[in-house]
Amino acid sequence: MRKFNITVNGKSYEVEVEEVGALASSAPKAAKAPAASAGSAPKSAPKTESKPAPVAASADQEVVEAPMPGNIWKILVKEGQEVKEGDVLLILEAMKMENEIVSPKDGVVSKLATSEGAAVNTGDQLVIVD
Amino acid sequence: MSDKIQDLLEAKRKIELGGGEKRIEKQHSSGKMTARERINYLFDEGSFVELDAFVKHRATNFNMGKVHAEADGVITGYGTVDGRLVYVYAQDFTVIGGSLGEMHAAKINKVQDMALKMGAPIVGINDSGGARIQEGVDALSGYGKIFYRNTISSGVIPQISAIMGPSAGGAVYSPAITDFIFMTDKTSMMFITGPQVIKSVTGEEVSQEALGGANTHNKKSGVAHFIDKTEQDSLDKIIELLGYLPSNNMEQPPAYEVVDDINRVDEELNEVVPQNPNKPYDMKKVIEMIADDNHFFEVQPLYAQNIITGYIRLNGKTVGVVANQPKILAGCLDINASDKAGRFIRTCDAFNIPLLNLVDVPGFLPGVAQEHGGIIRHGAKMLYAYSEATVPKVTMIVRKAYGGAYLAMCSKDLGADQVFAWPNAEIAVMGPDGAANIIFKNEISESDDPVATRAEKIEEYRNTVANPYIAAQRGFVDDVIVPSQSRPRLISAFDMLETKRETRPSKKHGNLPV
Repeated sequence: MRKFNITVNGKSYEVEVEEVGALASSAPKAAKAPAASAGSAPKSAPKTESKPAPVAASADQEVVEAPMPGNIWKILVKEGQEVKEGDVLLILEAMKMENEIVSPKDGVVSKLATSEGAAVNTGDQLVIVD
Repeated sequence: MSDKIQDLLEAKRKIELGGGEKRIEKQHSSGKMTARERINYLFDEGSFVELDAFVKHRATNFNMGKVHAEADGVITGYGTVDGRLVYVYAQDFTVIGGSLGEMHAAKINKVQDMALKMGAPIVGINDSGGARIQEGVDALSGYGKIFYRNTISSGVIPQISAIMGPSAGGAVYSPAITDFIFMTDKTSMMFITGPQVIKSVTGEEVSQEALGGANTHNKKSGVAHFIDKTEQDSLDKIIELLGYLPSNNMEQPPAYEVVDDINRVDEELNEVVPQNPNKPYDMKKVIEMIADDNHFFEVQPLYAQNIITGYIRLNGKTVGVVANQPKILAGCLDINASDKAGRFIRTCDAFNIPLLNLVDVPGFLPGVAQEHGGIIRHGAKMLYAYSEATVPKVTMIVRKAYGGAYLAMCSKDLGADQVFAWPNAEIAVMGPDGAANIIFKNEISESDDPVATRAEKIEEYRNTVANPYIAAQRGFVDDVIVPSQSRPRLISAFDMLETKRETRPSKKHGNLPV
């Protein structure tokens, strides 16, 4: 989220602009294909899924979910990396606090379901530890 | 005469075998102790005295007349734990599944009544298949009488429940009314309706362990307070817990001799809280550094970990600790944390245990789920419980104390007898970032360099408002102290407050928001 002050007719407005990730920027391209059919009204770009679809966890997998809404500030592990219970996986910035999100068990990071800078909500999948 | 004595001894020997060697073996092979083994482990050696060993059920329906149930499936009596009187009942799973019938319940009722009259704690060890269906409404009535006594005794004597096997259906409500629930990993479970019923009604498939195992109730539901790997561990912990509690609400908790220096100054306390207010740390370290022998007995360690509850001793006396945990959920108060803390505060107040509140709280957790889940009425429990409590209340603000959450952590206004703050404390309506955006909205928006101006204003706000001295000027903080001196200062405060007497207007009871 970036903030700008915009002055219109001498009056100052504070405007917040949300920077959307690379996923969304591909949307207009997708919209080009149907535009090829002549005369058809421009269709709205297909809605891109900004969050990866949740992956069903198998029995010995532990899905680490966001405990509260915030932004992913730093990711400290890579997919395939071995982790121990209590190791910090990533840092979630929320409530003006750099919250350490730790591994619930010894294992291997099988999936990173988020990226640095991403805004997450309570319950969003962040990391899967096998 | 000697024949009669022989008969008596023989009869007792038989009763002590419960459901017989085969069933005892089965109990052992499933990782469980027998009811008698549990009782003997809990009590000081040789101190247990059994009551009602000869009680028999009176049921005749469904061939029950021919069923022989030693002690009717529950062992009751009294003994000493660390030399102090404690009552007990332990259901015997080897005797018709520990099922609860009329006389089984009557035995439990008798020790409940005695515990209340004599003012001594009662420990209930639950291991039962549930109501003895053959006894019908008599069994149901038995449960009702147990719940009623649990409630009447609540806040008078400590009531502790150990779940060491199944506790299903109505049976769960007796433990639920008591003060503390212990569960043993893998062998204990609690639920109102079991997996089969749930499957037939809602179609959901769930295992017993996932539905109502020790992990579920310690981490998710918050029903239980302790989880242990073995029954011995659970019983050891019950013994330790009893050491923190008085025998009844008219007594003080037992005091122990202190080896730890009461004037111990811990320099590490000056470093434990990071300078950067955005950095988390482990509040348990602060608690341990302050406590006698650095020992902290945590209650509900796995549930709502954003708030910490438990017991320490200061100068040998029990103190209940409620502390924010900045490491989890930024230390925010939420629905579960409020429930956990509210209940703990009331347990302490009921049993004359002074409260120490360690504050580092950024606020209540924002979110639709929280609002719709009723954070207003749940959060209100903390305010209510602190205001209602008449035990000595000492609050120490170690870093952030913002807004309603500052009040909810027992501010001066809720009756804190002493409020200390560390010099880096920030006490304000809201955090500097948010506050500066509101107060200096125009200055920031009209500035040529809004980013720099905002940073400047945030700093200005922090310097003028977000420190402990304004609150100290108003008397909301009694003293700003050097962190390393926390232990001697707190011990001095609690000693000073020991004779505190505070009365409330007489009433039937208050109306706690639930």
